[in-house]
Amino acid sequence: MNLRVAGMGWVTPLGRGIDLVWDRLVDGQEAIPEAISDAVFKKSYCAFRVPAEILAQLPPHPRLRRASAISKFAAAAGLDAIAQAEAAIGKIDPDRTALIFAASNGGVVYTKRFYQGIVESGAEAASPLLFPETVFNAPASHLAAILGIAGASYTIVGDGAVGLLAVKMANDLLENESAEFCLVVGAEEADWILCDAYHKWRLLRKEPPIQLFRDPPRGTILSEGAGAVLLSHEGAVKIEAVDSGGNFSRRREASEIVRSIAHRLAADDACVIASANGTFVDLAERDAIKKELPGATVYSLKSALGESVGASAIWDVIAAAQALKTRHLPPVRYPHSSSGLNFPGLDDLAWRKAIVLSCGLNQQAAGLRLSI
Amino acid sequence: MPRFNDFGGKTGGSRVAIVAAGIVSPFGCGLNETLGSLRANKDCVSPVTQFDVTQCRSKAAGQVRDDWLDSTRNGNKSDRVHRATKMMITALDQLCRQDSTFKPELTVIGTTSGGMSFGQDYYRALHRHSELRHSPAWVANYPPQKPVIDAQTAFEISTPCQIIANACASGTNAIGHAFECVRSGKYQRVLTGGYDAISELVFVGFDSLQASTPEKCRPFDRERSGMVLGEGAAVLALENFESARGRKAQILGEIIGYGISTDNHHLTQPDPSGSGPRRAMEQALKSAAISADNVDYINAHGTATVFNDAAEGKAIQELFGNVPVSSSKSMIGHSLGAAGAIEAVVCLLALHAQLLPANINFRSSDAGLNLNIVANAARPAKIDIALSNSFGFGGTNASILIQKLAA
Repeated sequence: MNLRVAGMGWVTPLGRGIDLVWDRLVDGQEAIPEAISDAVFKKSYCAFRVPAEILAQLPPHPRLRRASAISKFAAAAGLDAIAQAEAAIGKIDPDRTALIFAASNGGVVYTKRFYQGIVESGAEAASPLLFPETVFNAPASHLAAILGIAGASYTIVGDGAVGLLAVKMANDLLENESAEFCLVVGAEEADWILCDAYHKWRLLRKEPPIQLFRDPPRGTILSEGAGAVLLSHEGAVKIEAVDSGGNFSRRREASEIVRSIAHRLAADDACVIASANGTFVDLAERDAIKKELPGATVYSLKSALGESVGASAIWDVIAAAQALKTRHLPPVRYPHSSSGLNFPGLDDLAWRKAIVLSCGLNQQAAGLRLSI
Repeated sequence: MPRFNDFGGKTGGSRVAIVAAGIVSPFGCGLNETLGSLRANKDCVSPVTQFDVTQCRSKAAGQVRDDWLDSTRNGNKSDRVHRATKMMITALDQLCRQDSTFKPELTVIGTTSGGMSFGQDYYRALHRHSELRHSPAWVANYPPQKPVIDAQTAFEISTPCQIIANACASGTNAIGHAFECVRSGKYQRVLTGGYDAISELVFVGFDSLQASTPEKCRPFDRERSGMVLGEGAAVLALENFESARGRKAQILGEIIGYGISTDNHHLTQPDPSGSGPRRAMEQALKSAAISADNVDYINAHGTATVFNDAAEGKAIQELFGNVPVSSSKSMIGHSLGAAGAIEAVVCLLALHAQLLPANINFRSSDAGLNLNIVANAARPAKIDIALSNSFGFGGTNASILIQKLAA
C-alpha cells in the first residue's frame, strides 16, 4: 500500500485551518455550544456550529451562491487541502485528480425546507431551486466544478465510519492507476431535525460536556463542518493500512467488530484516535482497545468538537496525522476516570504510528493506521 | 479492431465475470419475468398509489408490486423495515439461489435516497404533533446503508459496504467501481447493484423541476416531454473470471469496460455538446480496449427529458453512428439509483436472448438526432457487446460494457 497524505483541510466549530484548530485543541479549548431551534417546532437542542465568518472567507464562485452549508464546508476544506498539498509537493493537476465525497445526512437543511413546503403548502409549492441541493452528491458536484475535476467523482454515504470507507475507496482508485491524486472530503451540516432524531434515538444529551468512555454512556452532541485529505503517493504521513471493517446488526455486536479491526491494525508505539462520542460506541471501543491495544494512548476529538458524523472520520485522520507530525496529542476532555484507558499526558512522545478507529452509530465500523 | 479477449491481458487486469443476478422492478420479479416483459414490450407504468399526487403534473410511475417483495426474512420486523430493504432482500434472494456459494469480500451498491419515506413519515408526524412511537425505527431505518446491511444480514453476509450516491448514475457507478476492484486483482468477488424506492419528496422534486411528464415516457422521440419515475433493486455477483471458472460457476456474462466522467456545466443540466456522456463512453471503450464498432446495442440513459436525450443522443450519434439504441425507462420509468443496475440486467438478458429490447411509446424521430432507435417492439439480433449508460444530477456520467460469454 503506497498511500500518503499530501494535504489536509479542516473546517470545524473551533475554526478553519489545520494549525489553527490543532493549536486550539492542544490549548484545551473546546467548541462553544449553540442553541439550535426550528421555526416550526418549539423544542430546542444544542449543537456545535461552524462560525458564520468562516464561510464568508470562501472565494466567490457561482456554484456556491445558493449552495447549502454542507457544500460550503466541503469547498473550504477541499480548497485548503489542495493548497497545502501544492505547497508541499507542487501542482495538483485536476485532470489527474479523483474526488470522493463522504456524507451521512447530506443536505439536510434544504431537504427539510423543501419537504416543509410540500407539507405546509402542497406539491404545487415545492421549490425547484431547493430540490437539486437536496441530492447527496450536490456538494461533490460543486466542489468538482470549483476545482475543475472532470474525471472520477464519487459520493459515498454511510455513518460515522464513512470517511474511512472513502479513504479505502481512494486507495482502490489510486492503485487502479486511474488517478494520481484523490481528494477525500467528509462533511456534515447540523440541523434541528437531526438533533431531534438523534434525541429520540436516545443518543443525544441536552448540553455539554460529552463524557467519554463513561459507563453507562450519557449521550453525544452533534456538530458540523468538513475535513479533507489529499491523497497521493507523496507526502509526509503514510497510510499503512485501511481496514473496511464490516457491519454490526446490534449495538452489543459493535465491540466484537471494533476489536477485530483493532487486532488487525495493532502496532507497537501507536496512539489511538478513537471515535468515542458519549454513546454505546465508547464502550465498544474501550473494550476493544483494552484487549487489543493495551497501554496505547487514547484520544478522541468528540468532547471538544462534538459528533460530526459524515465528517468525523476524516477529522480523526487529520488528528492522527497531526499527532504524528507534532508528536503531541491534545488533552482529552472529561474522560471517565475508571475506564482503564491511558489518556494523553505531558510525556507521551513515543508513538510513530497512529490508529484511527471509527465505529458509527448506524452499524458500520472501520479503521486505519498511519505512520510517519 | 481486436476484441477484449484477443488482447490477452494487455489491459492489465483480470477478466470479470457476472456469476449471478437478482432483480425486482416494474418489469417483474426475477430474470425470467423481466425477460418476459422485455419480449412483450410491456408498459409497466401505472398510477401512483403510495402517496397523494393530485397536485403534481405527473401522476404515474413504474412501481414494484408489494406481493413481489420478500417479507419472510424480516421476521417480526416486517412492518418496521423500509420498502427498499424488502426490495434488496428480494433481489439478493434470487442471486443467492443462483449461486449459494458466492461470498463477497466487498459490497458496492448505488442509491439516491435510501429510506427517504421514513424521513417523510418522521417530519409529517412532527408536524401533526402526533404519536412518534415509531420514530426510533424510522430514524434507524432511514440511512442509505441500512437496506444493504439488512439484506446482507438476512443472507449471513457480513461484508463492508460502500454505498455510492452519485444521483441517477449511482447504480452504474457502483457496478463500474466493483468491476475495477475485481479487475485490479485486489478482490476476487464483489457484490454490486443498486436500489431505490419511490418517495413523495423525490417524486414532487422532479415534478417541481418540470422534468417529469404527465404524458407517456418517450425517450428520444421528437415530442418527448419528460421522465416518469420508477423504483426497484438489482444486484450482480462479480467474480474474477478464472476463479469463477475454477469452481464451475455459471457465467452470465462479462463486464469488460467502465468509464466515468464529471460534467461541470450545471448541477442539473448536461453540457448541450454531450461532452460529458461522450467522455464516459469513450473511457469505457478504452477501458475495454475495443472500438465503437464492436458495440452491438446501447441501453441508453434515455430519460426522455428534452436536454438529457439531446446531449446523450448527440454523443451516441457521434461515437457509434447506427448502433441500435433503446431506453428501458420507456417501459419502467426512471428508478434513479437502481436504474443502472436494472439496466445492466436488461443488457445481460439482451445478450442471453439475443434480443434488442424496445424503446416503447416512440412515435417519430427527433430531427436533430439520427439514431437507430429500437422502436416500440423488441427484435432479434446478434449481440455480443452491450453498452449501458447512466447520467445524473451533479454531472455524473457512467458507462459500462457487458460482453456475452463466447460459446
